[in-house]
Amino acid sequence: MTEPRWPVAEFDPVRRLRVIAATTPGATIHERVLDAPLAAVWAVAADLEGELPFWLFPDVRSVRLTTTAAERSVAHVVGYSGLRARFDVVLQPGWCLMQSRFLLGGMAATPEDGSTRFAFLGSFRGPLRLLTPLTRPLNGPTGRRALTRFAHRVEQHRY
Amino acid sequence: MGPTPPRVDPGHLVGLVRRAQAADPMARSDLLELLIPSVRRWCGPIALEEDADATQETLIAVLRTLHQLREPAALFGWVRTIAVREAIRVAKQRPRPAELTELPTPGDPQLIVDVQDVLTRLSPEHRAILMLRDLEGLSEHHAAELLAVPVGTVKSRLARARRSFAKEWKT
Repeated sequence: MTEPRWPVAEFDPVRRLRVIAATTPGATIHERVLDAPLAAVWAVAADLEGELPFWLFPDVRSVRLTTTAAERSVAHVVGYSGLRARFDVVLQPGWCLMQSRFLLGGMAATPEDGSTRFAFLGSFRGPLRLLTPLTRPLNGPTGRRALTRFAHRVEQHRY
Repeated sequence: MGPTPPRVDPGHLVGLVRRAQAADPMARSDLLELLIPSVRRWCGPIALEEDADATQETLIAVLRTLHQLREPAALFGWVRTIAVREAIRVAKQRPRPAELTELPTPGDPQLIVDVQDVLTRLSPEHRAILMLRDLEGLSEHHAAELLAVPVGTVKSRLARARRSFAKEWKT
């Protein structure tokens, strides 16, 4: 006997990142629709070692990944300022979350009308959360500039 | 009767919930991954076109109130209650006329042929009862408890179902 085919709700990685943003104190999420297919966008986003230093923040000098399990890695990030941080990383198709003692970062992407919606999230953790009110005015411009750099990287790889 | 959770080691689930309750972002992300398939299944039949919003609102409500969950083993039942509540709330924000006032009985041929069409003709509350009964296999008593309505209300919504539904369907 045939079973009824019940509708299943749509839900994409960008919405999942919005959930994290809405429930993480001080988190800021930035989104942009990029005129490129998901595969092209995620190829840049998922290349943490090769691409993050070019678009995320100007201080990021290098990222070195060590795989620890399926879809799990540890990223060692070194900044020009001398800052060093160790991030636990989850990297899946369309989804990435990075967590250090003091920072949380995330990326997500989903197809949208022939283009791709890309989102990234940033937040202070632990004692650095006290900085959140001070950096809030900078979040908008900083995030928009990072998205612009990211869009340029996607374009460079496509053409 | 609790919902059937995905196969997950009970010890792992307890640890995951405890770490998520302690606001560990990685644990919260892992918990979302575990919950999303079930929440999509619960929200889809109730919220219809607002399905993605209902799923998102459910997961936000879950993480915001996770500290209230005392027994991690009860996670999926607790989340299901939130999903039904949020899906009804989101669906009501964009009301559509409900043509049917009664529910089809389990196994009704029209339900099997096109459950989507049946759902679009019911109110959000009726869709919730239908989903809980036919998809989740809940008793009338349990469905009433979950929806916080008297069991008589659920029974009355189900009682004259076949006759009324068949009549509406044929017109």
